[in-house]
Amino acid sequence: MTERSVAQQLEGQHVLLTGVTGFVGEALLHLMLSEVPGVRVTVLVRPKGSTSAASRTAALLKKPPFAEVVEAAGGLEALMAARVGVLEGDLADTPELPTDLDAVVHCAGDVSFDPPVDEGFRTNVLGVRELLARVREAGPHIHYVHISTAYVAGRRRGSIPEGPVPQVVDLEAELAWGLGQRQAIEHRSRGTEILTTERKKAEKDHSRAGLLTAANATEEARKQWVKDELVRIGTERARSLGWTDCYTFTKALGERVVEEHALTNRASIVRPSIIESALERPYPGWIEGFKMAEPLILAYGRGELPEMPGAADSIVDIVPVDHVVAAIVAVLAHPPEVGTPAYFHVSSGDRNPLTFGELYQNVRAYFDDHPFIAGDRGATRLPEWRFPGSQSVERLLSTSERAFKVADYVIGHAPRSDRTRDLARKLDQQGRRLEFLRRYLGLYQEYAQAELQFSDGHTLELFRSLSEADQERFAFDTAVVDWKVYLQDIHCPAVTAPIRRLDEVRAARKRPVAGAQKALAEKPGVAAFFDMDGTLLSSNVIETYLWLRLRELSGTERFAELSRIAAKVPSLLQAERRERSAFLRSVYREYAGARLADLDAIADEHLTDHVLARLSPSAVRRIREHRAAGHQTILITGAVRPLTRPLLPLFDHIEAAELAVDDRGICTGYLASSPLVGESRAAWMESYAADNGIDLKQSFGYADSHSDLPLLAAVGNPVAVRPDVPLFRHARKARWTIVDWSSSTSSTRSLNPAGGLA
Amino acid sequence: MSRPGFVLEVDDRTPPLIVHEGLGFRLESFPLGTRVIYPPESLPAVPDVDQAIQDALLHPQDMDPLPELLFAGMKLTIAFDDISLPLPTMRPPDIRGRIIEHVLTMAAEAGVDDVELIAANALHRRMTAAELKHIVGERVFRSFYPQGKLYNFDAEDRDNLSHLGTTEKGEDIEISKRAAESDLLVYVNVNLVAMDGGHKSVGIGLASYKSLRHHHNAKTMVQSRSFMDHKHSAMHHSAWRIGRVIKDTVKVFQIETTLNNDIFPKPYDFLQKREWEWSVKDQATMLGMRRGLSVAPAKLKHKMFHDLRSVYGLTGVNAGEVEAVHTKTLEKVHQQHLVEVQGQSDVLVMGIPYVGPYNVNSSLNPILATCMGLGYYFNSYLGQPVVRKGGAVILYHPLNEGFNQLHHPSYVDFYEEVLAESTDPAVVGEKYEQQFAEDPWYRHLYRTSHAYHGVHPFYMWYWAAHAMDHVDEVIWVGADRKVAARLGFRAATTLADALEMASGTVGSSPSITYLHNPPHLLAHVK
Repeated sequence: MTERSVAQQLEGQHVLLTGVTGFVGEALLHLMLSEVPGVRVTVLVRPKGSTSAASRTAALLKKPPFAEVVEAAGGLEALMAARVGVLEGDLADTPELPTDLDAVVHCAGDVSFDPPVDEGFRTNVLGVRELLARVREAGPHIHYVHISTAYVAGRRRGSIPEGPVPQVVDLEAELAWGLGQRQAIEHRSRGTEILTTERKKAEKDHSRAGLLTAANATEEARKQWVKDELVRIGTERARSLGWTDCYTFTKALGERVVEEHALTNRASIVRPSIIESALERPYPGWIEGFKMAEPLILAYGRGELPEMPGAADSIVDIVPVDHVVAAIVAVLAHPPEVGTPAYFHVSSGDRNPLTFGELYQNVRAYFDDHPFIAGDRGATRLPEWRFPGSQSVERLLSTSERAFKVADYVIGHAPRSDRTRDLARKLDQQGRRLEFLRRYLGLYQEYAQAELQFSDGHTLELFRSLSEADQERFAFDTAVVDWKVYLQDIHCPAVTAPIRRLDEVRAARKRPVAGAQKALAEKPGVAAFFDMDGTLLSSNVIETYLWLRLRELSGTERFAELSRIAAKVPSLLQAERRERSAFLRSVYREYAGARLADLDAIADEHLTDHVLARLSPSAVRRIREHRAAGHQTILITGAVRPLTRPLLPLFDHIEAAELAVDDRGICTGYLASSPLVGESRAAWMESYAADNGIDLKQSFGYADSHSDLPLLAAVGNPVAVRPDVPLFRHARKARWTIVDWSSSTSSTRSLNPAGGLA
Repeated sequence: MSRPGFVLEVDDRTPPLIVHEGLGFRLESFPLGTRVIYPPESLPAVPDVDQAIQDALLHPQDMDPLPELLFAGMKLTIAFDDISLPLPTMRPPDIRGRIIEHVLTMAAEAGVDDVELIAANALHRRMTAAELKHIVGERVFRSFYPQGKLYNFDAEDRDNLSHLGTTEKGEDIEISKRAAESDLLVYVNVNLVAMDGGHKSVGIGLASYKSLRHHHNAKTMVQSRSFMDHKHSAMHHSAWRIGRVIKDTVKVFQIETTLNNDIFPKPYDFLQKREWEWSVKDQATMLGMRRGLSVAPAKLKHKMFHDLRSVYGLTGVNAGEVEAVHTKTLEKVHQQHLVEVQGQSDVLVMGIPYVGPYNVNSSLNPILATCMGLGYYFNSYLGQPVVRKGGAVILYHPLNEGFNQLHHPSYVDFYEEVLAESTDPAVVGEKYEQQFAEDPWYRHLYRTSHAYHGVHPFYMWYWAAHAMDHVDEVIWVGADRKVAARLGFRAATTLADALEMASGTVGSSPSITYLHNPPHLLAHVK
């Protein structure tokens, strides 16, 4: 056929593009600007924050692939004035379109596979409907090109023709349902059913830190639940109707909207399969952001993808992005008749199938030749895939998840040590990997198993109708792709490049010395708040209590007291886990009947050695550094005041619990006021800071346990000292300083002059 | 009669020899030709200790008998050496307690009722009540401690110090006010090794930092060759100058005691026998102990060693004028410790045992271990050092005991901050000594807790100054590498490796001398 060339056909046309800030849109814009010189383009761009649509477009055109085009046009401004109009607006509220349009290409859409159901409907269905309404307003002859996905076929099997998706779904009902879900789920999330569970869970984890912290955690959990639930019900509804997920479901409904429009207008539907990096244009391997397969390729290269569900012989339908946009331009040049929408599959599976096995072999071969270097530990070990079938992969994954849960429980309850923290760090990493696997395998399982073959006869026919020059210029015959070259030489290098750059930067960065802390600047109005047990001292309240009590007792009484305490330890530990102030109260109950003056005397005479011997040298050094820098040093503790006496000279202020005494000076076993733990510490710190002109943002906090979270969160420079696992996790997440102030392990012994060997 | 010390030359019949290394020991096969210096065997003890004390007090050197110095209404102060002597701690009754009882009896007979007992701990840590009781004995403790008449000297108690003037070299003399103002100051010492006693007792034991800084510094210590020879020790010269000024104002009645070398009680007595003379029982004990130590946790090992109490025999007690007494004392000490050695060697090997003067009931931290090796053991010579100038010293100690935060708080900071910057005694002293000495927190701990004075780690480092100046290479066998590096030294796994490392300094076939110490010895190098 010797027709006019594509460029000639589009000469003088005005085309509106949506979604140019996305991957396909950008490629399309590039192709049109560079290869279809007669076309004028208007882009529909959403302003982002304070950045206007025009400047977003300008930024887009400043990217390296556009350099040639911009230069040819004589500069960015000239190019934009001559060929690229900007229409500011959002698809959620589409503005009026220019009236001289010849065509509209709609590339915008939610590309994530698991959008919350309402967002899926809003962009993929409602957005299309509103845009089409505007298109009809703008003129009767506009050619509308809809970019859909080949996977709108859903869970069908076998050969898929280039035609409408057969469906019986009531579009309006689904749309109304989908849009209404956000509100419905939000309502449900506030019901007792959800809140009670989440609150109980949060209180179990956070009650030591205080109820407000637990409340915050509950609210966070509720929001997360809403998000998850919206995704879950979307997927569920899609599957109940024969689609893989909410994405393909809403995309299919979107096509229905287009088909309605096509009854009275010209419309084409282009359905690419999995779009990956460019084969040739703008340059081989051009890719923006991460698409579908990249996370998996990267995870595989990092050795984190042990196995894949799906069969080695199932087909992965991949198309390079330049083929997709070339096909779109060709479709633009060949508008169909009114009333008969044209369908085009841009896919490779039919004539140039790439099997999962081949994909794996090629990716593996790439990483064998160009492995990721994991830090200074040499090349990463690559897992060997055996494609055991999705069931055994599922088993592997769920076993790992169960093991993770058990390990997580154990770690959460293990006594703290460097080893525990290290294990917790590794476990968290493992957990993130599992989460990643669960998410991606869940999503991709459907695709990996899909035995779909998209027939692309229509597209091929279009391609063959082009002149030879056009066939070269707008190449979209996917049969020409040599998968080995494409995967090993083009796609994988492109995908891994940013990661490699990041690794290099990371390797070049000097590893910070563990525990090294910045020198303190001298500044007025700065305070350093210290927690006592576990932070400054290695002992805890029980130990200290015993120490004080045992001094007063004879041998047999001592034994009795020890056994009594030993019997109580489990319940004390439980109290400690539940709530710190309850724990402290139950310990201080034991002081009932002691004379306060005696306690002070005992503390001065004996406890000093006990405390000083357990004092961490690094802690003392840090306190002294703060003092030297002119900072106020403040000790906050739930321990009773007599126990803090040895530390008096180190602190400007000590906030400790006061034991209540009766009129004879004998302890009642109760406290004079509530012990300062958890959130009450933060509140106290705020009022103390206000009274003493201290700037909490400039101040420091040092603490060791999850219950001290409010103390640490209240200051600008929080430091977790040998933290327990929950605090460790929090500190890592919040990028707080973590230090290890281990106190001396050698204990002192009182002299026994007779000796043990006499 | 005990056998004198001698120098063994290792030949192919020599069994592996005991080398102490902290909380344990090893059997080391030394290269052929290594000289091993063994101390003399224990001298016989005096048959009747009470009789000997009585004799000494009634027939003092160059002074009137004690009863004649005592009178009713007088102010009497008895000062005594602290827990740093003897090493290991003596099994009760402690000789100091027995002497103090005799002195107190005579004082009571003379009608003296103003008596105070002061532990001459200078900048050492305050002793606990139990430790004081151990030294003075139950009866004395009970009569004096509750009334506050038996106490540790406090070198930071400005109200209770007196400045007695300066020496001709401008050295300040500031000692305990009570001691200075007493009509008679009786000093009871344990002269374990040659550097103890003499004018060092009052002039150092009861002095403040202001006074001590004149001789406890890198410059003086480098010139003390050795500490064990007061006639050639710059530090002792200073103490002697100070002592002579004190003598002008304070009447000092010095009582010095000497002990024999019975430091390891049964069943550990094999540790002070010569290895080839071990009986089957000794060998069995040694093997059992080695096996036990290899599996015992650090705490248990610590307890095992630190519970050890020595059954020293008293070899002499002399009383009277300080210098006259000390001459007599040194005779006895030399008789017990002196071994004649012909010439220096390229390499000196020493095993650091578990205890030194400053870690009784505590841990031997790396700084104290250095002081033990390069300070005390290295200086156990008369004449010239056992190792030649520019030679190498090989020490055995794991350097892994960490720091006792109660006793050695300033040591931790010295290790973390000062040594990280420099290990040169002169440099660290110049830059940091003052700051540590005057630090209010250390001062607080020294005065109220049981901490060594803030400046004490510097003194430990100065003790080692002479050795650091004299030798070119210090290698620790079996030590934690990081710790050794922080101290400015190197670590080796075995003696063979250490010798290999030292070969750059002393060649591949150096002459080696091993000081078989403890028991204490003093090498007289000709």
